[in-house]
Amino acid sequence: MNATIIQIAESVVGELNAADLSKKGFTATRLYIPNFDLEDMKELRVSVVPREVEYLPLDRASNKLHATIDVAVQKKFSKGNTNEIDPLVAFVEEIADYFRLKRLNSFVAARCIKVENSVLYSTEHWLQFNQFTSLLSLTFELAK
Amino acid sequence: MMADMLHRGQAWLAEKLSQHASRQIIYQRDDVSVELTATIGDSRYEQDDGEGVITRAQVRDYLVDTQALMLSAIGTLPRRGDQIIEQEANRTFIFEVMSLGSDPPWRYSDPFRIKLRIHTKQVESHS
Repeated sequence: MNATIIQIAESVVGELNAADLSKKGFTATRLYIPNFDLEDMKELRVSVVPREVEYLPLDRASNKLHATIDVAVQKKFSKGNTNEIDPLVAFVEEIADYFRLKRLNSFVAARCIKVENSVLYSTEHWLQFNQFTSLLSLTFELAK
Repeated sequence: MMADMLHRGQAWLAEKLSQHASRQIIYQRDDVSVELTATIGDSRYEQDDGEGVITRAQVRDYLVDTQALMLSAIGTLPRRGDQIIEQEANRTFIFEVMSLGSDPPWRYSDPFRIKLRIHTKQVESHS
């Protein structure tokens, strides 16, 4: 059986692929380290990455877990103007809204308690690759 | 004068580079494209793992005569996002002008501004 954080990450992948979001035609994928060639970034890429788990004692027998999952949204742009980038920023916000206080359909014990857009867009990827990279951090809580 | 001598020497070297160590490329900006002679200055693979999200790219520098670009239909110095199209055998490689590390997308390659060193990264290849 997979570790709890992996089960949560898999559920996040399932949610993203089933959700009715403004951007279509992407398939969210669970990865340990998103690692792509620039050539492959013309299509929108959504990567789900398990990042960290915090174990807080709840009672004698169980812990309260805070599991953080990163969602990376990436796309190579051509001009980087507002027409091209604004919809991507809006898409990231849409994902953030989608997970707000959400219990995962395939892992109902976990509830999203915090959403952070830790990197709105990476200036490094912008300058070095003409690429939009945004990172959302979702923190899920459950007792175990 | 010494400076003129160096300038002449650099110009001679640049001419030899264009004649004997260059290939034809297509330089493109939006709908405008021109054929130019370019020397491959550097070619390597690079990766960036900022924010734990890795992007890799084939990096290539092109050395192009400043005047050839300025007098072509492009008419200005390189701009970020311009593309260089290179044909090799039956394959087409498309490189895009972008920054390289802390370098801007291009710089003069010599003190007399005879050649430009244009930094690019591969964004597409097809048969």
